[in-house]
Amino acid sequence: MQTDTQGLRWLTTTAYNAFAIGLGILAGLMVVVFAGGNIGVALSSLFLNPVTLSGGIQQIFVRFVLFYTMGMGVGLALKAGLWNIGAQGQLLIGMVMVFVVYTSLGFLPWPALYIAMILGAALGGLLWISVPTILRVKFGANEIVVTILLNVVAINFAFFMLSGPIKSTGTALGFPHSIELPAQFQIPSIISGLPITYAVPGTVAIGIILYLLVERTPFRIKANTVGESHETARYAGISVPRVMVITMLVAGALAGLAGATYLMGYRYELDIGSFSTNYGLVAIICALVGRKNMLGIGFASFFFAYMTIGAESMALSANVPTYVVFAMEGIMMLGILLGNYLTERKYLV
Amino acid sequence: MTIALSDILIGVLSTTLTLSPFYIFAGMGEIVSEQAGVANLGLEGIMLMSLVTTFIVDYVTGNPWIALLAALGAAAVIGGLFALTAIRLRMDQIASGLAIYLIGLGLSFVIFNIAYPNGLTPNYVGLPPIFTNWNTVPYVGIIFLKQNILAYVSIVLVVLTAFFLSRTSLGLRVRAVGENPKAADNMGVNVNKVRFLATLFGALMFGVSGAYFAGNFVPGFQTDVIAGRGFIVLAMIYFANWKPYRALFAALSFNVVYAAQNEYVSLSGFGVASVSTLFNMLPYVFLLALIPVFGRKARVPKFLLKPYRKG
Repeated sequence: MQTDTQGLRWLTTTAYNAFAIGLGILAGLMVVVFAGGNIGVALSSLFLNPVTLSGGIQQIFVRFVLFYTMGMGVGLALKAGLWNIGAQGQLLIGMVMVFVVYTSLGFLPWPALYIAMILGAALGGLLWISVPTILRVKFGANEIVVTILLNVVAINFAFFMLSGPIKSTGTALGFPHSIELPAQFQIPSIISGLPITYAVPGTVAIGIILYLLVERTPFRIKANTVGESHETARYAGISVPRVMVITMLVAGALAGLAGATYLMGYRYELDIGSFSTNYGLVAIICALVGRKNMLGIGFASFFFAYMTIGAESMALSANVPTYVVFAMEGIMMLGILLGNYLTERKYLV
Repeated sequence: MTIALSDILIGVLSTTLTLSPFYIFAGMGEIVSEQAGVANLGLEGIMLMSLVTTFIVDYVTGNPWIALLAALGAAAVIGGLFALTAIRLRMDQIASGLAIYLIGLGLSFVIFNIAYPNGLTPNYVGLPPIFTNWNTVPYVGIIFLKQNILAYVSIVLVVLTAFFLSRTSLGLRVRAVGENPKAADNMGVNVNKVRFLATLFGALMFGVSGAYFAGNFVPGFQTDVIAGRGFIVLAMIYFANWKPYRALFAALSFNVVYAAQNEYVSLSGFGVASVSTLFNMLPYVFLLALIPVFGRKARVPKFLLKPYRKG
């Protein structure tokens, strides 16, 4: 009977999540209609534009890679009860590091430099998250507070690097931006002409490896126990600081890596437009929707990649600012939490 | 060019007193809320909603006081939604707080865009200074008389909050439901009601902060205008160990560092953002450096982030 209950539970959770997402979409539709948009155009923009618009499919996969890579890190830390609100900052540092490595290690031959740029981005994210990790493990400082602070520092730091050390001197346009990465440092498409780069199978491979390493080994139980109660974990002989350090550092490295794939696989140059995004928060939503499962986060990321592009296109169809998508995401998040509440109440009594 | 040291000092003091109230109001709100066991990470979303309400209501009525009241109303609505989710529905406070932030971030700009479709920002200068002819008085004028009444109210609020939490019975109940809700419940305290009131008080203070921001920080409205300054309050009260006077000190010292680097950057005329952005990091790094020094002794309210269910 145990499996029956689990199956039923999975079904209700899915139903609640679908309801939550529907609620967010409905709210967005209401805003669009209120602003004078046509409901038919809005719906077709939401569901069809991501695949029919030129560049839409490329965007879906770019965001999928971003959300999935960062979301896995957030989810992993969350298993151990740690909130990485700073994925956005680690992402920025990762992007900056791509150029730092490119300019400072320029003497390396091509394949070595290429790999060094990717590893450098991951290392940047890892170093950036090591601050909250050390403060948490050594001083007991709350990681939420520190990661939030470091997001602001990261934006300022990235802006400093952009307006000085990694600034492009080639053009004198108003806003500072970096040079564009030469073609041999861009991540190529799998098949030429197809808008899917090697970053996509690469990310899926990382997802599967992490799934096998985390979900299929005792580490899952270790991390979950630390997440539930430090006391229980200690009693069970689990090294709490060790689990915290591993999950946090991997989370930072993944967010930094996301910076490398975003820059080298899509954007190619850094400008202040790349700073003012909220991908770190979307990664948190993906981790929650994917129930902190390394494969579940992948499905959630693909869905949110598609949904956010559709919703932005829907907003534009009625001249509503794309910021409405943030509100939709917030409503979806509340709806998902409400679903969790209803599920727990039904099965835990 | 030589710059008189006294000019710099006056500039720093004036800026510090202008900017600090934003952090003080929000800090007192978050302290009371967190002492009751509810961390509100949606604070910046609530600020954004009250900020945009301030602009619109001031534009329609022409009265900054009515605008302030309306901002409080907006804060109460969004804050009430947060309280409902975090307390009654026992949702994860961090997740629901971030959701509230996203809703505020998105909705505030959409509302602003619908109200002002041509992109023009309304001219809002905030509440009047306490002394209209402040620039006729040397030194004291620009430092003290230029500020509006809310700057002084914020200082009084610190004293009142400290008194409330340590000397009044409702204040003791607030701390009890954050420290040991079970025991408080056994003594006949309605845990979730006290938590709701504390959270609502917090939200109202974020509303004041948002309205204050509108008149004293960035002119006009733009996307993500508060840009993380609201979240900084969480770090301030963490460093302050949830103590009102220490939070006041944190807000003032943070802004002294901010104002000093700002003054230095503008006087030395770096021009291009290059070096100045490095200085912009200083106040945050300063706050970060305080955490291992003071955070070690931090005593988090025991039932912070933990929903309470009777029975």
